[in-house]
Amino acid sequence: MSDDAGRRRVRAVWLAATLGAAVWLALIVLAPWLAARSSTGLARAVYAVFSPVCHQIPGRCFFLFGHPLAVCGRCLGIYAGFAAGLVFYPLVRGFRRSGLPSARSFVIATLPMAVDGLAGLAGLWRSPVGLRAVTGLVWGALLPFYFVPGVADFFDLRERRRAAGDLERAAGKNVE
Amino acid sequence: MSQQKPEYFRPALTAGAVAGLLSGIPFVGAGNCVCCLWIVGGAAVAVKLLVKATKAPLTSGDGAVVGALTGIIAAVVDAIVKIPFQSFNLEMAQRILDKAAEMGGQMPAGLDGIFQGASSTLSPGWFLLGLFLSAAVYAVVGALGGLIGISLFAKKAAAAAPPPPPTAIPPADTQGPTDAA
Repeated sequence: MSDDAGRRRVRAVWLAATLGAAVWLALIVLAPWLAARSSTGLARAVYAVFSPVCHQIPGRCFFLFGHPLAVCGRCLGIYAGFAAGLVFYPLVRGFRRSGLPSARSFVIATLPMAVDGLAGLAGLWRSPVGLRAVTGLVWGALLPFYFVPGVADFFDLRERRRAAGDLERAAGKNVE
Repeated sequence: MSQQKPEYFRPALTAGAVAGLLSGIPFVGAGNCVCCLWIVGGAAVAVKLLVKATKAPLTSGDGAVVGALTGIIAAVVDAIVKIPFQSFNLEMAQRILDKAAEMGGQMPAGLDGIFQGASSTLSPGWFLLGLFLSAAVYAVVGALGGLIGISLFAKKAAAAAPPPPPTAIPPADTQGPTDAA
């Protein structure tokens, strides 16, 4: 695959991820807005969308329009960080094909959230929602640097395997 | 690099079943409150198993596929494991919300309705809808876990630039000797 095609693919994945992250964040804010407008059924549906991935305990959520957001502070931080990471992605990496972040970057970005989260689960301390959001934000900001090149590589890989399969079939026909 | 497709399903099934089981058990499942720990971790473990089972170097695309597959399998197992714990989970959630209300917090709109109509959440329609949503979200989270796993366990292979695909089909007379020749 040419460099140009590679760039186009990375750009397409980045654009799709950015749109997806924007919709996801909008849904998180939409839930309390709907609840405030007494659209209970719709609000419940939006809260239900996020229930598999978040405990949604009101005491650990930010509030908007007098109602909790659809996810807790930490999850909001992760999603907001993911969106922020996507915004900065072209400035940091450009759209060229690139490798994944190093293990060291992963450990550095994960450590604050892991320490805070695991200590909270163990009952050692209760961090405020703001701190949870910030530690989530740091972790989430690293994720696009896995997601964008990884998903672009998935499409490259599929194309390469298809080309190799076509070649094998054609070679088989030539032999016959 | 080999263009042969690695065997994704077995590592995804093993790691996804464990991740789904851990996600579905009350209290233990709370691990998912820390950045979907069981799903991300399960996908990373699936990559580790895939690296072990595959001789050819793996790319980040392989990590995304096995991770997404792990997430989907985990969502199915999670949904099944949660069935017997449904009433217990609802009771626990109700207690948490009651406690939050005592402390001055507010319940999400209409959530009380969900608890009152708890039996409806066990209907096949709700079950399938919940399963579909979980599978979609867990697939994305699992893909991320798989990519993290590739960066941790197969770093060199992931960093290597893939070779361009062959563009020309060699004519038959340039092939080596074959049985048909």
